[in-house]
Amino acid sequence: MLMQPNFRKIIQISACVLIPLISVSCDRASTNKPKVSLDYSVNYPASNGGTLIDAMTGEPSGLIAMIAGESAASAIAGNIFNSLLKYDKNLELTGELAQSWEVSSDQRTVTFHLKPNLKWADNEALTSDDVLFTWQKVTDEKTRTPYGSDFKLVTKAETPDINTFRVTYAKPYAPALDTWAGLHILPKHLLKNQDINNTPFARNPVGSHYYKLDSWKNGQYLKLTRNDNATQGQAKISNLLSRIIPDKAAQFLELSADNIDSMALNPIQYARIFPARPELNKNIALYKELGNSYTYLGFNLKRKPFNDVRVRQAINYAINKQEIIDGVLLGLGEPVASPYKPGTRWSNPALKPYPYDPAKAKALLKAAGYEDHDGDGIVDKDGKPLSFEILTNQNKEREMTAVLIQRRLKDIGIEANIRVLEWASFLGRFIKPKEFDAVVLGWSLSLDPDQYNIWHSSQQSPGQFNFISYSNPHVDQLLEAGRLELDPDKRMKIYHEFSAILLEDSPVVYLSAGYGLSAIHKRVRGISNPAPPAGIAHNTYEWYIPQTYARSEISEQ
Amino acid sequence: MKKTLQNPLALIGFIIIASILMMAIMAPIIAPYDPNAIDVKAILLAPTTNHLMGTDGLGRDVLSRMLFGARISLLVGFVAVGIATAIGIFLGAISGFYRGWVDTLIMRTVDVMLSIPTFFLILAVIAFLTPSIWNIMIVIGLTSWMGVTRLVRAEFLSLRNREFVLAAQTLGAKDVRLIFRHLLPNSLTPIIVSSILGIASAVLIESGLSFLGLGVQAPQASWGNILTDGKEYIQFAWWLSLFPGLAILLTVLGYNLLGDGLRDAYNPRSSQH
Amino acid sequence: MLKYLLKRFFWMIPLLIGISLISFMIMHLAPGDITSSEASFNPKASEESRQKLRALYNLDKPVIVQYGLWMKRMVTLDFGTSFASHQRPVFWQTKDKDGNVTLGMIQEALPITLLINVMSLALIIVISLPLGVLSALKQNQLPDRIITIFVFLGFAIPGFWLALILMYWTGVQHSWLPISGLQSIGHEHLQWLGQTLDTLKHLILPVFISGITGLAGISLFVRNGMLEVLHQDYITTARSKGLSENRVIYGHALRNALLPLITIFGLSIPGLIGGSVIAESIFAIPGMGKLFYDAVLMRDFPVIMGILTIGALLTLIGNLLADVAYAWADPRVRRGVMQ
Repeated sequence: MLMQPNFRKIIQISACVLIPLISVSCDRASTNKPKVSLDYSVNYPASNGGTLIDAMTGEPSGLIAMIAGESAASAIAGNIFNSLLKYDKNLELTGELAQSWEVSSDQRTVTFHLKPNLKWADNEALTSDDVLFTWQKVTDEKTRTPYGSDFKLVTKAETPDINTFRVTYAKPYAPALDTWAGLHILPKHLLKNQDINNTPFARNPVGSHYYKLDSWKNGQYLKLTRNDNATQGQAKISNLLSRIIPDKAAQFLELSADNIDSMALNPIQYARIFPARPELNKNIALYKELGNSYTYLGFNLKRKPFNDVRVRQAINYAINKQEIIDGVLLGLGEPVASPYKPGTRWSNPALKPYPYDPAKAKALLKAAGYEDHDGDGIVDKDGKPLSFEILTNQNKEREMTAVLIQRRLKDIGIEANIRVLEWASFLGRFIKPKEFDAVVLGWSLSLDPDQYNIWHSSQQSPGQFNFISYSNPHVDQLLEAGRLELDPDKRMKIYHEFSAILLEDSPVVYLSAGYGLSAIHKRVRGISNPAPPAGIAHNTYEWYIPQTYARSEISEQ
Repeated sequence: MKKTLQNPLALIGFIIIASILMMAIMAPIIAPYDPNAIDVKAILLAPTTNHLMGTDGLGRDVLSRMLFGARISLLVGFVAVGIATAIGIFLGAISGFYRGWVDTLIMRTVDVMLSIPTFFLILAVIAFLTPSIWNIMIVIGLTSWMGVTRLVRAEFLSLRNREFVLAAQTLGAKDVRLIFRHLLPNSLTPIIVSSILGIASAVLIESGLSFLGLGVQAPQASWGNILTDGKEYIQFAWWLSLFPGLAILLTVLGYNLLGDGLRDAYNPRSSQH
Repeated sequence: MLKYLLKRFFWMIPLLIGISLISFMIMHLAPGDITSSEASFNPKASEESRQKLRALYNLDKPVIVQYGLWMKRMVTLDFGTSFASHQRPVFWQTKDKDGNVTLGMIQEALPITLLINVMSLALIIVISLPLGVLSALKQNQLPDRIITIFVFLGFAIPGFWLALILMYWTGVQHSWLPISGLQSIGHEHLQWLGQTLDTLKHLILPVFISGITGLAGISLFVRNGMLEVLHQDYITTARSKGLSENRVIYGHALRNALLPLITIFGLSIPGLIGGSVIAESIFAIPGMGKLFYDAVLMRDFPVIMGILTIGALLTLIGNLLADVAYAWADPRVRRGVMQ
């Protein structure tokens, strides 16, 4: 009747669509997953082969780290290129391309001796010429790199022979060695006729480290494969595949479905979800390592009342840092009392964070003239209530931290309002013109203790990093001295003293140093647990995937 | 209106909307907890008698946040649509009444606005300004007036030649009076229908913006941001996804059913043969 | 007819200039530029180098000057290169002196988005047509009610929520479909048939999610169109002439009811090339939506302008085509235009 033609049409069309779909889906069984549930507790000796699949949220803009800058780029480029020096598992400087180095007696010249017979992935020799070339590029005005300033301090760079590279500085520069541990050496023979800002080399690089670029599918993944000419030896895992998956929820689903081997976790996934799910724990192991960054509440020191140290200290006493660590990081963080990673030599062990002491906070406020004169629950002085705005960027953990701070400040009578901003707007409209009261932000630190750019009084102009306008002549002196002192023990003393003054001055309230959390499939062996000071990634070349556990992949037929 | 409610689907829509509105209005009274009360000992709890909809990543009660979130999500809808409708009526009336170059100018502007994908435009503007609830409302409003303009213009074009308008003109009625006393009241129903449907869209857009991080910001709760906060735990903390998702679903469904029913009732052609 | 077409083409140019000017201005409303990303807020990165970068990209010049520079390039169809991805041309590939080809960003993203949107449009039509017709024929009866609720559900459900639920169900709980991405890992080792099937499998969920929203609109449109047409006199005439019911419905009513659908297509052209940002983000698909979103966040002006310009152009062309097609399809209009 009337219904039939419609139904027939629907069924016909559905059949044309569904049947191929169903047959295609049944195909899936032939890819990727081991059918049998494997026992991952069996120990296998190290072997070569396999592919490690991990996920990134962003895509590198290029693989020349000095130009690209973002973390996705340096993460991948770090597997392709070598530097002169590197940090070992205890965070001590050691040679990578250099087998040894000396500092001259006037402390202004460093001579690096390269290992002999180094090769690029394309079999050309890697010599000091390449190092000189790289230095010339990073200091070239025409190179679009923001990282040139450290290298411009070199007044003379020479290559006495093909395995020796010598640099001379105008003044002794203690952070120098750290900078040479971060500069990826580029091949002169491939780049000498190229405009480094636009060269296709950035998407098709040739390096000297464990891996070389096999393929890069824009927006989808980057695949690295083992470099037979690697200067540091051979890695065990044959291929590294980094899939670009922008959404963290999708990443977690991929991990649960065993389509990726590793991803970074947030505290809730690490501490609440994994422990409650045996099916996840069976196949996936968790790792944590203390990161080299800390979160802080920074004050605009040019604004009242933050110019009064008692107010800053009061706020410091009022905030319960352990509560923030427990609430925001679910306990996966450490309190800090100095702007350094706890446990390293630069972190002053004698310093303790301000304890949670609201009574003392109130007393300090009172001493600064702030009391609740009008009974509205907010302290005031000269008729003006103590109320300000805390700004932070769109980062869940920072937002939660701001909310906890707001609550604790309310307990001692300070009214804090929170505003969350998009990053570029935050930077351009509030930080640069110093239009803010307080911010919740974080610093990611380098391994060198120099913090001149952040705390020296000469670094306060718009766009520079002392945006809180901190100025302390004694600190200035220490920061300058720290740059000139090459002896590690003497340096340590300088920075310990620096940290002590900072703690007393409290221009920022240190909140926490968080742990980096990752989940890696148990098929990946050789991971150090617990993580050494350098983190679990210090020996990725020693990780291996036993043949039994390897994924079956669609491979060359 | 009565005819609309005889339509069972529209009736369902009406009931849904009325209930949600009631809950939103009474939120401060019926919410069991302060929606911003953090309890670090109660993080990510499943629904229990203590927390009927469970708690979120900071230990806040989801039910309370849902109730206050209703206010925010609905407020965004109302204000955004209000702005869009106001602009649309204004431009559409002028365009339909005066015709000529004014009409062409306005219609070309409508074309220009329509040639940029709306979501892109909203996205770009919110990303450039700071994502705050007011910005979101204004931006959604400023990018949704085109449909109303066309509607009002069409109605005015068809109505202005009717006898009652010509009669009023002969009697010497001024333009403004014509517009407000005669033309506009008769165009009301399509405007109302479009507004109702617009509210539904606005609620959906807000949840989409929240997903991208550009929606209503913390610590304010909106359905969109509760849903987004819970998306990484969708397999485990199902309550963080289920309740706001259902709420958005029901609200948008309700508005659509009601709006569509209203349109059906108004349109004489679609009545039973 | 020709005069009409020419007039429309001429109008496009000022329209495009207007759109590009407005877009450019809006873009520069934004605080910050490419040098103010979070990554560049690194104590190791000096401010002078950022200033240098700004100068290199002409970001320190007044907005009108920057617009002029952009216009100058555009006249030669040079869309420029991206600020954020240093070497990639915005629109079409470039070949350097050594013969290395670098693919353009829009060149790579547009086909993917087009594919998804066209497939989703096809899906919508295939489902909406029968549903709309059925709904109209059974007006206000149970099938009509059920279909209405069903399509409205599709519209009302938040896309990313449904996406995640489906990804979990089809990818984690069962291994029916891939979860995200565009291709499987060993894709290049498959034959062309395998490659096509592989890509299609990855696109099933994104197409479904994109399509489910549009179902409501088109079904309702077909339904209302059919209803309007079914009550016309010529339908009664056709029936009284003794034509079979099928012929009446499909031969006459449906054909006339679908005419306005062409206008709908014209209006949905901007949507076709503007990929869904949300779906692409969640499914890790490198299409136009994701390209635009990333460009906006990074303040990558050349890419933003490139996408907006191409979008506007395609929309204007699409509207023109839709108008022409409508004119051709509707004999009344065709006759009127010909005269």
